Amino acid sequence: MNAVLYRQMLKVNLKPFLNYALGSAFYILLMFWLYPGVAGNAAAIDSIIRSMPEGVGRAFGLTGFGSAEAFISGEYYGLILVLILAVVCVQLSTQLMARLVDQGAMAYLLSARATRGQVACTQAAVLVTGLFLILAVTTLAGFAGNAWFLKGDYDFDTGKYVQMNAAAFLLFFAVGGISFLVSALSNDEKKASGISGAIAFGFFSLDLLGKFSDRTDWLRNLSLFSLYRPDDIIRGAADTELAFPILTAVGLAAFALGIVLFRRRDLPL
Amino acid sequence: MLAVEHLTKRFPNGKGIRDVTFAVKKGEVFGFLGPNGAGKSTTIRHIMGFMKPDRGCVKVNGLDTWKDRGKVQPLLGYLPGEISFIEGMTGLAFLDFMADLQGVKDRKRRDRLMERLQFDASTPIRKMSKGMKQKVGIVAALMHDPEVAVLDEPTSGLDPLMQKVFVEIVLEEKARGKTFLMSSHSFPEIERTCDRAAIIKDGSIVAVNDIHELQSMQRKLFEVVFEDEADVQAFKASGLPIDSQEGTRVRVAVQGNYRRFVEETAKYKIRSIDVFSQNLEDIFMNYYDRKEKTS
Repeated sequence: MNAVLYRQMLKVNLKPFLNYALGSAFYILLMFWLYPGVAGNAAAIDSIIRSMPEGVGRAFGLTGFGSAEAFISGEYYGLILVLILAVVCVQLSTQLMARLVDQGAMAYLLSARATRGQVACTQAAVLVTGLFLILAVTTLAGFAGNAWFLKGDYDFDTGKYVQMNAAAFLLFFAVGGISFLVSALSNDEKKASGISGAIAFGFFSLDLLGKFSDRTDWLRNLSLFSLYRPDDIIRGAADTELAFPILTAVGLAAFALGIVLFRRRDLPL
Repeated sequence: MLAVEHLTKRFPNGKGIRDVTFAVKKGEVFGFLGPNGAGKSTTIRHIMGFMKPDRGCVKVNGLDTWKDRGKVQPLLGYLPGEISFIEGMTGLAFLDFMADLQGVKDRKRRDRLMERLQFDASTPIRKMSKGMKQKVGIVAALMHDPEVAVLDEPTSGLDPLMQKVFVEIVLEEKARGKTFLMSSHSFPEIERTCDRAAIIKDGSIVAVNDIHELQSMQRKLFEVVFEDEADVQAFKASGLPIDSQEGTRVRVAVQGNYRRFVEETAKYKIRSIDVFSQNLEDIFMNYYDRKEKTS
């Protein structure tokens, strides 16, 4: 780790972080604001969902609107948040490593006192900080929404809500690690974002396809995203004791591998 | 101070460098010349420890630049051939950041360099011209007072006045015992700063020469305009190698023997003399092509 570099990288990237974090927080608040209206018609909406083909409801995590966290899980954590964070992971990891190598600015960092190991560790830390910041702001916005709009009149299980956020963070810790690994090995910015984008959205698509029907269910086993099941967490049926350590291990391994390989490889600077 | 020993690197496309060996003494300014794609940048990347040699090594003050990365960096200053900084910063913010990264506390040296190169450091980097970026790069490479400065085409993009300032800075640093390695296309710059120069071609060093030797190799074309057409014939009969003639305008090729040319020319009334220098790469390539043919 290099404190100077970390500070500078945060400064440069703070604005995009905040944009995503505030966008996400705003969306959560909107959901909480809408929920009381939805909850009044929960039975009617549930029946609409039941009338849809079974796979569709499952694929998009529409698990019923019986509680605020179930509503939010379906409306936000099941799809939109995942897409936002996948974009953040791919963009940011590419920016932090491959772009600096591609454009040559990495030469300045490495010709100063910082070693490659330090630079790579620092950039990995910036990526994780960004993800953490976005999810932390999102989580806090959820609490604020609960306090403002629900005022204790509706069910809101704080424990499950936090668990759902933790699951999202760990999933993108792992996805971010893989994008970081790709980025650390690339000399070309476009290639890096192309490959890590294909991996992240490939995982996402496999998971989505797997959810549509029982026959395609095996596809989910190929995807990291199957370890992230916000709807199961809400129903209390999630196997987080298995999923959390696996996601953490995948993330740590990918980051470590990225750092080690970056130290050894030839750089065209 | 800087020793490149049997450096060999082969790329998958078959290109690369072969057995590159040269040494630069402390306080010496060393030129590194060769056409594009000859291996200059590859060699420089090895010197900076950005690439792992297949064979051989680069040592700076006894430290291996690949194996002892992290320890040699404080000794080195680097100006890349292609300038690119971190986006979203002003020149000054970038230099402050680099100073912190290099562990430079004293900003006096940086301020002095900035003053001499005369640029507005508060400009955002993406709005800077090529020359301005080059100046920022030069300051970043030299502000931590490195023992060895590795500069890849340092004057590209600089106007003639700034090129002169740059040459002065290099000469002052040299007098303070600092070592330089620079690649360049401009002969006046190499001529005024360098003690010796290596020439690389197709991945191998073809020669390491004293700069005076290089000067004597340089062929210059003098264009002499005579007042009197009759003198032209007499001048042509003198045996000087005449390149071309157009009325009273005669071009003479001179290599090394300036005295004979001056003596011969002084016999006649001359309206004007102009000089055309061959560019550096041409001189070397001509010279070595000829040498290869004769041997």
